[in-house]
Amino acid sequence: MTENTRKARGLRAIHLTVLPIYLTTLLFVVGPMAYMIALSFMTRAERWGVTAVFTIDNYINIFQPIYLNTFVQSIRLALLSTALIALFGYPFGYFMAKLSPKWRKAVSFLLIVPFWTSSLMRLYGWIIIFRANGTLDGILMGLGITGEPLRLLYTYPAVVVGMVYVLVPFMIFAVYSSAEKMDWSLVEAARDLGASRLQAFLTVSLKLTLPGLLSGVILTFIPSMGLFFIADILGGNKVVLVGSVIQEQLMRSRNWPFAAALAAMLMLMTTLFIYLYRKITKVKDLEGLL
Amino acid sequence: MVMANITNMKEGNQTMKKALGIVMAAVLCAAVFAGCAGGGSGKVGGTLNFYSWEGMFPPEVLDAFTEETGITINYSNFDYGEAMLTRLQANDASEYDLVIVDDYILEIVIEEGLAKKLDKSKISTLGNINPIYKGQFYDPSDEYTVPYGAGVQTIMYNPAAVNIPIRGYADLWDASLADQVGTISNHRVINGMALKVIGESYNTEDPGAIRRAGDRLVGLAPNIRIIKDDAIHTDLMTGEINAAVMYTSQVTMAKMEMPELEIVFPVEGIGFGIMAGFIPANAPNADAAYKFLDFLGRPEVAAEAFEWLGYYCTNLAAEPFIDDDFKAFLTLPEGFNLEMEMIQNVGQDALDLHNEIWIEFRNAAGQPG
Repeated sequence: MTENTRKARGLRAIHLTVLPIYLTTLLFVVGPMAYMIALSFMTRAERWGVTAVFTIDNYINIFQPIYLNTFVQSIRLALLSTALIALFGYPFGYFMAKLSPKWRKAVSFLLIVPFWTSSLMRLYGWIIIFRANGTLDGILMGLGITGEPLRLLYTYPAVVVGMVYVLVPFMIFAVYSSAEKMDWSLVEAARDLGASRLQAFLTVSLKLTLPGLLSGVILTFIPSMGLFFIADILGGNKVVLVGSVIQEQLMRSRNWPFAAALAAMLMLMTTLFIYLYRKITKVKDLEGLL
Repeated sequence: MVMANITNMKEGNQTMKKALGIVMAAVLCAAVFAGCAGGGSGKVGGTLNFYSWEGMFPPEVLDAFTEETGITINYSNFDYGEAMLTRLQANDASEYDLVIVDDYILEIVIEEGLAKKLDKSKISTLGNINPIYKGQFYDPSDEYTVPYGAGVQTIMYNPAAVNIPIRGYADLWDASLADQVGTISNHRVINGMALKVIGESYNTEDPGAIRRAGDRLVGLAPNIRIIKDDAIHTDLMTGEINAAVMYTSQVTMAKMEMPELEIVFPVEGIGFGIMAGFIPANAPNADAAYKFLDFLGRPEVAAEAFEWLGYYCTNLAAEPFIDDDFKAFLTLPEGFNLEMEMIQNVGQDALDLHNEIWIEFRNAAGQPG
C-alpha cells in the first residue's frame, strides 16, 4: 500500500465520520432556511395557506414605515442591551478568571444554576419584583428612598433589565474563557516596561480578550434581536419588535410569506452586523465561535 | 375570539374537589364493575386523542370518562387555533379524534374539509345544548360542531380607583384613566372595540373605517399600561391597572376573588365568541370522540366542567346543576342584550390593515409620556 492510498483512505474515513454532521446541518439548518426563503417569495392564499405564485411584494411591504420601525426598535433595543451586557459582563468575566480555581468553580456554578429553571419562569419573577408595591417598591419605600410606587413594570427600562438579566451569562462565560487562557506574564512584562495599569490593560489584556468580548457580543446581540417575549412580558407588549410581528403574521394574520420575508430580512441584518463587528475590530478568530 | 388563557378558576377549592373526585371515581368504579358482572358492555377501551388549549376540563371529568368507558385520553394542547389548523393540514386531519377551538377557526376548518360530518345519532345528549348557541355562522346547520363554552369581551374595573362610571368602550378613552388600562392581546377584539366606538361593525372590510378605528385607537394609547392575553386579571387585582378589557374566564376568576370589581357589558354592544368541538375528517378513533361528546353533554358532567372552565355554559340542561356561587358568571345575565356581533373572518386586505393599526396602537402605547 502506498503512502498516498493510505492517506486517501484516512481522508475518506474522516469524511465518513463527519457525514452525520453534514446531514444534520442539511436537514435541520439548510433545509428549513431554504424553505423559508422560498416561502418568502410566494403569495398567500385568500383565506388560509400559501399559493406558489412568485412575488417580491413581501419584501416591498417591509419598507412600509410601520414595519421598518419595528426593525429600528429591535436594533435599538439589541444595541442598548448588548452595550449594557458588555459593561457588566466584561469586568465580571475578566475578574472571574483571576479568582482561585475553587472560587472560579463556585462562581460558574452560581451562574449556571438559574438555567435550571425556564427563563420564562425567571422573567415572571421580575414581575413580582417590579410590580406596584412589589419587592423593589417595598425595599425603596421602606428605606424612605422613594415616597410612592415607581410603576416600573411594563416600561422600557423593565424590558432592558430583562434582556440584560437573561443574556449576561453568555457574555461572562465568553470573556472568562478568553481571559482564562491569557498569558498574564505579558501583563507583568508590560508593567515592567513602564506601562501604567490602565495602559497595560488597554494594550495587552483588552487586546488578548477581545475575541472573548466579541463572541460575547455576538452571543448576546443575535438573541436579543429575537427575544420578543421579554418585551411582551416585562414591557406589556408595547415595545413592538420584529419577532413579535413575525409571530403575529404567522398566527393571527396568517400571512406566512410575509412572516418569512421578515425573518429573512432579520437574518440578513444580523449577518451584516456580525460582518461589521469583525471588520471594525479586525478580530479573525472568535472565542469558540465561527 | 381567541380564548388563549383558560385556567382553573377553582384553585382554592382543590382539596375538596380532589376528595370529591376520588369518591366519584370510586362510585364509578363500582358502577363499572357492576356493569361488567351484568354482561360487560360498558367499557370499550382505546384512546381519545384530544387537541385544544390547555386546561379545558377539570381532571375529575376526564378521569370519570376514562373510568366509565375505559378510553384513555391523550390530551395535547396548542396556544393558537391557527397552530392547530396548520397541524391538521399537515397530517391530513388524521392525528386527533376531537378538537375544541374558536368559532372563526371552525369556519376555516369546515371550509377546508378538515372536519367530519357528525353522526348525530351517536350523541344522545345533543338536545341539551342551549339553542341560542346553535346555527352560528361557522356551521349554520350544526352539521360539524358541538358548542362547548361561550364568552364575551367584557370590561372590568375597580370602582374604588376609577373616578368615572364606566358604561362602554368609549369611557376607556377618558383622560382620568391615563396609564391605568389593560387589554387582551387580540388585534381583532381590540381594533373591533374602536370600530364599535365609531359605530362600525367588527367585520367591516371598508379600509376607511378600519383606518378611522386605528386613528381612534392611537388616542387610547396614553391610557394603556398593558396589552396581554395571559392572566391580565392578576394585574387588575394587584392594582397595576384599574380597568381592563378581558376574556370571560378572566372576568370570572377576578370577580370570584374580588367581588368589589365591576363587570361592564359595553353599551356599544358586545362581541360574542363560541368555542366548539369537532371531529377531524380522518380521526383514527371517531367513536371515542362521539362517546366523549355524549358524556360531556350530560347535565351534571357539563355543570362540573363549566364551573372549572369559567366560560358561559352552552348546555341548557346543565344550568340547574351549576352551584349558586358560579351561576351568575356561567349563565347569561337576565335581560342580556342579545344584540351581539361575532368576530368573523375578513378578507386579507382588511386583515393586513388590522395588523397595521394594531402595531401602530402598540407602538403609540409604548411611547413614554
